Amino acid sequence: MTTGGLLKRSTGLALVALAAALFAPAPDAEAQQSLPKVMSLNLCTDQLAMALADPEQLMSVSFLARDRTISPMWREAQNFPVNHGIAEEVFLEQPDLVVTGTFSQHNTTFLLRRVGLPVEEFDFAMTLETIPGEIRRMGALLHQQEKAEKLASDFAASLDAIEKQQCEPKPTILAFEQNGISPGRDTLADSVFRAAGFRNLAAEAGLVGAAPFPLELVVAQEPDVIVVQASEDEAPTLGAYVLRHPAMKHLNSRIDAFLPPGSWACNGPLIIDAVKALAELRQKVAPCAETTE
Amino acid sequence: MRPALLNVGLTAIVLVAALLSLAVGPAGLGVTESVTGIVAGGSDVGAIILREIRLPRTILALAIGSTLGLSGAVLQGFLRNPLAEPGLIGVSGMASLGAVLLFYFGVAGSALYVLPAGALLGALIAVVLLLVLAARSNSTLTLILAGVALSSLAGALTSLVLSLSPNPFASYEIIFWLLGSLKDRSMEHVWLALPLMIAGWLLIALAGRAINALSLGEEAAATMGINLSRARTVIVLGVALSVGAATAVAGAIGFIGLMVPHLLRPFTSGMPRQLLLPSALGGGALLLVADTVCRVVLPASELNVGVVTALIGAPFFLWLVVRTRREVA
Repeated sequence: MTTGGLLKRSTGLALVALAAALFAPAPDAEAQQSLPKVMSLNLCTDQLAMALADPEQLMSVSFLARDRTISPMWREAQNFPVNHGIAEEVFLEQPDLVVTGTFSQHNTTFLLRRVGLPVEEFDFAMTLETIPGEIRRMGALLHQQEKAEKLASDFAASLDAIEKQQCEPKPTILAFEQNGISPGRDTLADSVFRAAGFRNLAAEAGLVGAAPFPLELVVAQEPDVIVVQASEDEAPTLGAYVLRHPAMKHLNSRIDAFLPPGSWACNGPLIIDAVKALAELRQKVAPCAETTE
Repeated sequence: MRPALLNVGLTAIVLVAALLSLAVGPAGLGVTESVTGIVAGGSDVGAIILREIRLPRTILALAIGSTLGLSGAVLQGFLRNPLAEPGLIGVSGMASLGAVLLFYFGVAGSALYVLPAGALLGALIAVVLLLVLAARSNSTLTLILAGVALSSLAGALTSLVLSLSPNPFASYEIIFWLLGSLKDRSMEHVWLALPLMIAGWLLIALAGRAINALSLGEEAAATMGINLSRARTVIVLGVALSVGAATAVAGAIGFIGLMVPHLLRPFTSGMPRQLLLPSALGGGALLLVADTVCRVVLPASELNVGVVTALIGAPFFLWLVVRTRREVA
């Protein structure tokens, strides 16, 4: 059983390699048929895979991908079977390739490699600049180079266009999340804020990663914009009350909850929507003067 | 020491501790700015920080500390058990559990006012359970062991309930309910909890004569015309109300009710009633200081105040257990 499965898989891989060698880069009918079958075990690789893979090529995505509170692509995810990132599930499905993140499931990754399944890990460095590279890498793994190239260059072009709109003085921004946690340096949110033309107060205060930002300092520094993530239909927590503290009502800050939850959990191609939305907000808060030609 | 002198001294300590609490915070406003910020009003940054962030915190620390000190003193006097204390005997833990059950899964959604409702209910169940137990067995040990069991059970169920919440952030709040904190409280919390705490204090004060008489034994107390069942009811309600309200807004904070009465007893005549007011003042001062320490030690991510009280209180508890055993033997 086991050896049979392994044999079948390695034959499949060999065929893929052969097809790729013979017909690449032009994807014709034969190459289409032998696209590698992929399982994604991580919310962030799910996004990349759903954006690039042919529907029949993607065997399953992680169960988190369907969770509307954290996954911006929860609608698309309804079209795919889900897995729970457990090695047994993967082994039974025998995919040609497993894609996952480096944060999660070290044990699963280790186990899968031990039984000979190819696992590709994405480590998701927390800046926008790395995203086109990640898209291209996923594209190469899925044999969807063309789609990936288009997505990656579109992304880079959009980002470039937004970054060109920046002007001084930059307004200040603070993302204020449950329990007063703020993303500081080395977070994707910080990268998004900088691209949209804001100064991230949490990073300037020396916060690294997501760390607590004292409520007193929110009042003292009065950021131009405070971003709180929209969360009306979530189960109650005390942490959510910190965002509704009466002291916040005295601020002149613009408090916005327009970003869907999980907006900057993954540096997938979708993050560009958050960058665009924030860049628009930035123009509303402090319009750039018309540039003299 | 004369009772008046003791109370005046303790009041002075409370005032100093309260000023200190108002003066310490990440925004770095000094004592003078703090006082003017509250008095002057207005809407400048200092005034907002003082009135909306530091003042509610200081009021709550004072009131909750007083509640815990007072409850410890009255329980020790009434049960004639030197180890009785709302944290140790599981009242605080059950109050946390009640609040958690109603708040995170309540039909009323996430409204803040369900917190005290749940906490009062939990505290009431705990006090009644323990008094029933105390009535059946007079041993110091039985009560404490039952309290430990109740505390652990309440703690485990609190963790379970929070882990079951569909909101992933809820499980971060386990530490708040088990170890307590006064971080980012607001005036809403003060209005929610303070009236209930004051009502509890008044009820406990009514039991003062009874616990004095009880120190001579139950029969002697009965011949002095003390209605024991009435005293019991008043104490149950007083402790449940005040500790329930305190826990609803600050989580379970341990050991204050244990330490403060013991530290202050040598300065009083030894009658339980004379210990009530000093214990309330001393508890307030201790929690104010402990809460200020939390903000100074780890300014970035604030220690839970229950960690500080346990660090001081647990060794004290051990020492007390050893001493109690020696006296009994």
